[in-house]
Amino acid sequence: MLLELNNASRIIKSGGKKITLLDDINLTVEEGEFISLMGPSGSGKSTLLNCIGMLDNFTEGNYQFLDELVEQMKEKQRAKLYKEYIGFVFQAYHLIDELTVYENIETPLLYKSIKSSERKALVGDILDRFNIVGKKDLFPTQLSGGQQQLVGIARALIGKPKLILADEPTGNLNSKQSEEIMQLFSTLNKEGVTIIQATHSETNASYGSRIINLLDGSIVTD
Amino acid sequence: MIRNYFKIALRNLWKNRTFTLLNIIGLTAAFGVAILLAMFSIFQLSFDRFHEKEDQLYQVYSEDSAADGIEANTSKSEPFAAALQDETTGVEKITRYNGSGVLLGYQDKELWMNGAYVDPDFFDMFSFPIIKGDSENPISSETSIAITERAAKRIFGDENAVGQTVTVLRDEKEVPFTVSAIVEDFPNTSSIGFDVLLNFKSQGKHAYERAIGRWDIENHNVYMQLSKSITASQFEKSTIDFTLLHYKDEIDSAKRDGVQPNAEGNYRQIKLLPLADISFANFNQGIVSVNRTMPYLVLGIAMLILFIACVNFINMSIAKSAQRLREIGMRKTLGANKKQLFFQFWGESVLVFLLSISLGILMATLLLPWFQTLFSTEASFEALLSPSLLFVLILSVLAITLIAGGYPAFLMSRLGTIQSLKGKLEASGKNRLRNSLMVVQFSIAILLISGTLVLWNQVDFMRTKDLGYNKEQVIAFPLNGKRNDQQALQLVRDALQDKTNIVSISASNNILGIGKDRSRTTSVLGFDYKGRGVETHMLVVDADYIETLDLSLILGRSFRKNLASDSLSVIINESMAKQLNEEQILNSKINLDDKSFTIVGVIKDFNFQELDQNIAPMSLFALPNWNLRNVYVKVTPQNLEQAYNDVKAAWKIIEPNAEFQGSFLNENIDRTLSNERTMITMIGSGSVLAIILSCIGLFAMSMLIVSQRRKEIGVRKIVGASVSAITVLLTKDFLKLVVLAFLIATPIAWWAMNKWLQNYVYRIDLDIWMFLMAGGISVLIAMLTIAGKTIKAATSNPVNSLRTE
Repeated sequence: MLLELNNASRIIKSGGKKITLLDDINLTVEEGEFISLMGPSGSGKSTLLNCIGMLDNFTEGNYQFLDELVEQMKEKQRAKLYKEYIGFVFQAYHLIDELTVYENIETPLLYKSIKSSERKALVGDILDRFNIVGKKDLFPTQLSGGQQQLVGIARALIGKPKLILADEPTGNLNSKQSEEIMQLFSTLNKEGVTIIQATHSETNASYGSRIINLLDGSIVTD
Repeated sequence: MIRNYFKIALRNLWKNRTFTLLNIIGLTAAFGVAILLAMFSIFQLSFDRFHEKEDQLYQVYSEDSAADGIEANTSKSEPFAAALQDETTGVEKITRYNGSGVLLGYQDKELWMNGAYVDPDFFDMFSFPIIKGDSENPISSETSIAITERAAKRIFGDENAVGQTVTVLRDEKEVPFTVSAIVEDFPNTSSIGFDVLLNFKSQGKHAYERAIGRWDIENHNVYMQLSKSITASQFEKSTIDFTLLHYKDEIDSAKRDGVQPNAEGNYRQIKLLPLADISFANFNQGIVSVNRTMPYLVLGIAMLILFIACVNFINMSIAKSAQRLREIGMRKTLGANKKQLFFQFWGESVLVFLLSISLGILMATLLLPWFQTLFSTEASFEALLSPSLLFVLILSVLAITLIAGGYPAFLMSRLGTIQSLKGKLEASGKNRLRNSLMVVQFSIAILLISGTLVLWNQVDFMRTKDLGYNKEQVIAFPLNGKRNDQQALQLVRDALQDKTNIVSISASNNILGIGKDRSRTTSVLGFDYKGRGVETHMLVVDADYIETLDLSLILGRSFRKNLASDSLSVIINESMAKQLNEEQILNSKINLDDKSFTIVGVIKDFNFQELDQNIAPMSLFALPNWNLRNVYVKVTPQNLEQAYNDVKAAWKIIEPNAEFQGSFLNENIDRTLSNERTMITMIGSGSVLAIILSCIGLFAMSMLIVSQRRKEIGVRKIVGASVSAITVLLTKDFLKLVVLAFLIATPIAWWAMNKWLQNYVYRIDLDIWMFLMAGGISVLIAMLTIAGKTIKAATSNPVNSLRTE
């Protein structure tokens, strides 16, 4: 078991009113799963991803990640945990415009204080694998959307995470590019990486091994 | 990691090059000017600090009670120094000091030098090291002379100076002196200045022999070294008996005249002025006041300017951070912690600061010569180079970088991950900070601008004020040749009298304003008049003095052409007449030194001293064979330059070896205003820089805000807002800040300027328009600054601004 949510909710106050973003979620994710979160806008897909990724917190309930209770951890421990085990992929890619492809992929390793020679080898491997060696010195703005997302995924993978959280990874891409990205996810999943993606597209969802439908913050079907 | 930071910093700075450039320009200018100003003020503050025994050295002066309050008197009598050392405890060493111009001869050279007549203790007290010759007792003999390295070079060139014989003109004779020692050139932060040093006893008859043993002739200064076992105030108290003994007559007559004693009930009090205070002391207005406002003011301006530039930096950094929110968020999800983010952003600031400081130092170096002439200062980088000072400077630069660069970095590193990934800034609390900082910036600028305006008005007032004499048409020059005054004067008369552009010629023992030779003296005479003490300034004049200077005669007559027949006549000014208080002032008699002088005329008061003083009583004498060093030549108003050249040519023929140091009296007046001018230039350039820097900040902010409000502007235009309505909308917020700054700065400026004007007896009235003008200038400049960006935004096609959404 990779992670487990028990009665997890996220309720925030806005303008004096309580708003329930996530309502009593119970979810167990095993290693090697490929889960697609589906649901209309505002149903809580992104919030759930952010909470699982520890960028946000559940306000109620339990969250266990690798048998550790996340809500009892200190900020630092939590950061260490997601640095180690989780990679993020965003709809808007979120590459750093001032860094080249190579440097963007290298950044997570810098924050992990990995030695220069090892960094070079790791980045080289992944560039190779994704077939973007020729683009390594370009800046994100010089790439197409699909290529940017490729770099985004490469960056998420460089730290060898157990879990990849992808928030509408193909939302800004055309169908051909989407297909390529989803193929890539599929391959990764087969290699043992757990993936949770949020998506609107039935086609994309079908790549997953499990589909979870969300509505107004609750799980409707699993 | 560091390389990565460095790279991204450079790329970011390049990407925002407009802002980077604005920041670097602003910070460079601020650092450059701040370095120069700090140099100036530290140079001023380090005056006389180079003496090893500085904390033990004092100038001795006394506070004498007089009819119009307490007067500070630095002049002492011949027996005073020795008596003080013998009769009181605590005087470790003491020296008399009389500075005067010395005409020095060597072979066929003739040089005017600054001479100082001192006692042998002088060298033990002050740190003027001897580098060659007799270092034990260089001037113990009355025929020896010690000279500075610089003077030696002037006199002897590369020849060996020690042992050479030079002549000094004394009592119209060339007296030989042997050079006994060479004194190392001392720092230019010395208020005691000299080229040559002689024994006090080597002075002329008038200055020394005549004064031996007399307590009533006070003609030199006295410096002493206080024993470490006693404090200055203890010593001052211990001199009361000494004063009572030696100044019995003066004290008795003060009592008789009903003069108010000081708070302790003493009519005379010997006081010690610490050496380091001398260059900041004012002896002219009652008790001595030591005032270091000027250097601190300059230091203050330096800091204000730095502050303004830093505010720009902070505001721009915070505003620009909005554009980097995604990067911040992304870095956090990639595992960066707060500390790493802080150091990344702070590092970028440090880069900008280091570049600006280096450029600032370069700028200061390039501007230094110009700065030195403009402010007639000898301040240089040396002033900043002492280790402790360097430490303080480096520390303050670090502190500035930490605050100005660190605060925005701190804010950025603290942002929440999700929030920043969404690219939204929380709360608008930062705008309040930005607005308050901008208000402070503009307050400073307005403060400095109104200060400049008031200062300028006061100086203009002093420069153009009718001083009661003709300052436009009169050339004054010193008789600085070898001949005696009477002889030289006669030759001047002979040479110029028949020229059509010369109206009249006269001379006196004192100068009006400050001449080119910068020497001036004051002679004050005290005597008993009908059983009460009377004090008057004394001026000895030649024939036609009143006519040459266009002084206006109220009563009686001027001196006759045949001056000898008026040797027992005196002409007084109104203040003197008021002091004598006679119904029939003409023909009243004054008794001085067994002679009786008759008042033959009264002249209208004229400002023979600076305008920070009331017009004092003044008496004009026509004493025969008296020192009449200063010649006054009144010329016709047409072609003043020609007249000046004629006078110069005549003097060249009469004294070929002497330099002509003539100038019109209004130039002399200008010279007395040099402090005020320095202040105007300083505060003026400070205010120009302050407003420019504030506007750089304003410009940057308007640029950012316009780009942030692009969508809003587009929407407003679509719903029908006109160009002018949008311009007003965008401008209003900034103008509000400037107006608020005006409201804050004006009372402070009013208070400060009013306080400063109190220094002047003759002063302008503060007028609201000066402050309104300062405010108006700021508003106008601020409007022009933001006009370009806002009008462009207001006229742009809304389709363009809305398309991005």
